[in-house]
Amino acid sequence: MTVTAERPAELTPRRPDRGPGSRADGWIRRAPLLPALVFTIIVTQLPFLFTIYYSLQSWNLVRPGSRQFVGLDNYILVFTDSQFRQVALNTVLLTAGSVLFSLILGLLFALLLDRAFLGRGFIRTLLITPFLITPVAAALLWKTVLFDPTYGLINFVLSPFGAGDTDWISTFPLTSVMVALVWQWTPFMMLLILAGLQSQPHDVLEAARVDGANTWGVFREVTIPHLRRFLELGIVLGAIYLINTFDAIYMMTQGGPGTASANLPFYIYQRAFLGFDIGQSAAMGVVVVVATIIVATFALRLIFRSFSGGEET
Amino acid sequence: MAEVEFDQASRIYTAGAKPAVNRLDLEIDDGEFVVLVGPSGSGKSTALRMLAGLEEIDGGQIRIGGRNMVGVPSRDRDIAMVFQNYALYPNKTVGENMAFPLKMRGVPREERVTKVKAAAEILGLSEYLDRKPRALSGGQRQRVAMGRAIVREPQVFLMDEPLSNLDAKMRVSTRTEIAAMQRRLGVTTVYVTHDQVEAMTMGDRVALLKDGELQQFATPAELYDKPANAFVAGFIGSPAMNLFTLPVSEEGVRMGSSELALPRALRSRIADAGLSTVQLGIRPEQWSVGSDATGSGVKAQVDVVEELGSDAFLYAHLDDGEQTPVVVRTGGRSGARRGDQIALTPTSEDLHLFDPSTGERV
Repeated sequence: MTVTAERPAELTPRRPDRGPGSRADGWIRRAPLLPALVFTIIVTQLPFLFTIYYSLQSWNLVRPGSRQFVGLDNYILVFTDSQFRQVALNTVLLTAGSVLFSLILGLLFALLLDRAFLGRGFIRTLLITPFLITPVAAALLWKTVLFDPTYGLINFVLSPFGAGDTDWISTFPLTSVMVALVWQWTPFMMLLILAGLQSQPHDVLEAARVDGANTWGVFREVTIPHLRRFLELGIVLGAIYLINTFDAIYMMTQGGPGTASANLPFYIYQRAFLGFDIGQSAAMGVVVVVATIIVATFALRLIFRSFSGGEET
Repeated sequence: MAEVEFDQASRIYTAGAKPAVNRLDLEIDDGEFVVLVGPSGSGKSTALRMLAGLEEIDGGQIRIGGRNMVGVPSRDRDIAMVFQNYALYPNKTVGENMAFPLKMRGVPREERVTKVKAAAEILGLSEYLDRKPRALSGGQRQRVAMGRAIVREPQVFLMDEPLSNLDAKMRVSTRTEIAAMQRRLGVTTVYVTHDQVEAMTMGDRVALLKDGELQQFATPAELYDKPANAFVAGFIGSPAMNLFTLPVSEEGVRMGSSELALPRALRSRIADAGLSTVQLGIRPEQWSVGSDATGSGVKAQVDVVEELGSDAFLYAHLDDGEQTPVVVRTGGRSGARRGDQIALTPTSEDLHLFDPSTGERV
């Protein structure tokens, strides 16, 4: 006996003309979101289009009547500007350094806070405090209270050892800014990693101990793989915030000496609002946005991979 | 392989409070399968974790192969443990999970691979070696946990309720597999469960704990036939043994309005103990059921009939004014129905007698 199965005439389901799933129904759902979309376009995309437009102009505010269309000249200047390259490198160093050091310190503090000891709650509160301070105030604190060559606490502490006369901020401008940023961002990393540590199932740790792992073995083989997604998240979020650092640089070094401690946002600000070179700074802005989009695409992919990794049970 | 000894081992969580495990004494022979069983909070898991080195030994000693384990970390005890929730490493594949104990002991890579493959073969996990635990079913995860324990070839296996997360059917088949594997490997095994059926079917010997104290440590048959006290009697056996506290009379005991004659041997044991009331234990299968009309025996009324096919359990209450519940096993399709009046007579001479004040066997 032969059975002939009838092939379905249409393999793809057709969109219904009305009711749920129809084109009209889709618009009923989407329409309430339109105002938000329009608003977002107005405040983010239109300025960007203006920026692109300005970047094709030669326009310096201190020379009235200088405005003229110059094509891609501004971009050529950006890429031949050695200062811009220096500042781009500063940005990478500052972001990567701050994220990395605050991640390592955060991991150490999180491991400390993950064990029970007397006064843990109090210590935890103290450790979180730097994150709660306004960034400008924190930068000012580091500049005046700690790093100041005359009144600074660091020199005061070091003076008995005969090393108390360094002008930290002028000698190591980028490092000084990085120290302040690490100080402020360590609590964030610590909290994130602590959440990871405390979500670790106890029986897995016990199993590793029974299976013959020593403390380091448990940490390397069980804890670190478990923390991986938390570390990744810390890196991505930290990088997103720290790449835009402005306040610390503005308060501590003004990007100086020269451009030794300037990062891209600060350099663009200098060019636009201190140098009044709108065309040049607009071109830099566009370059930075494009670069950021490229980096962020990878970064976002990393975030989504962390979250879509599936539940570990 | 080694013998395991609990010597007055205690675990005290808070000073002054009742110990979680109180002066536990167990001598487990080499290659023996011992089940620790008891209700929740009996200290059975704590005792196992003390043996594993996951809990402190606050008093006494625990010895593995004659070596005192007080202060010895888990990794130096040469044991392998199967956890209730399996505790597999979520970021490692099945093969890496099973190889982990070997890796931590510095076993070379080729040897690890060979051993893991052999163990996976036994457990039917060969095709899953590259999967992550989350892609496995509960039963497969359980077997990975077993595999991780057996590749080690440890001196002692410790198992903490390894079957409690499996469905009923799987539990029965895995139960047999574990018991068979243990017999073949001949590794001393300590197994914790709250399920007395698992305890009875798997263990060479069973240690019954309650409130951190050992109640009885004996073979399953002995535990069933000669329970050391009323608690053991009530815990072992399903449905539980019927326990009645009854006044002693001339010919035996008074049960409600009727008199239950006891064999001479039992009567003399009561007399020797000098008891005026006694706790009488009768297992559900130690009753014979007659219809009410025949007269002799204890009168009862059936409340519920549990028909299991091969046999049936009658849940009834006695006509003694206090509605004392009683469970009776009869053959399947006995025809008994709710509301039936029945007359019960003990069939066996081996009834259990306990001192009502201490609960100890008379």
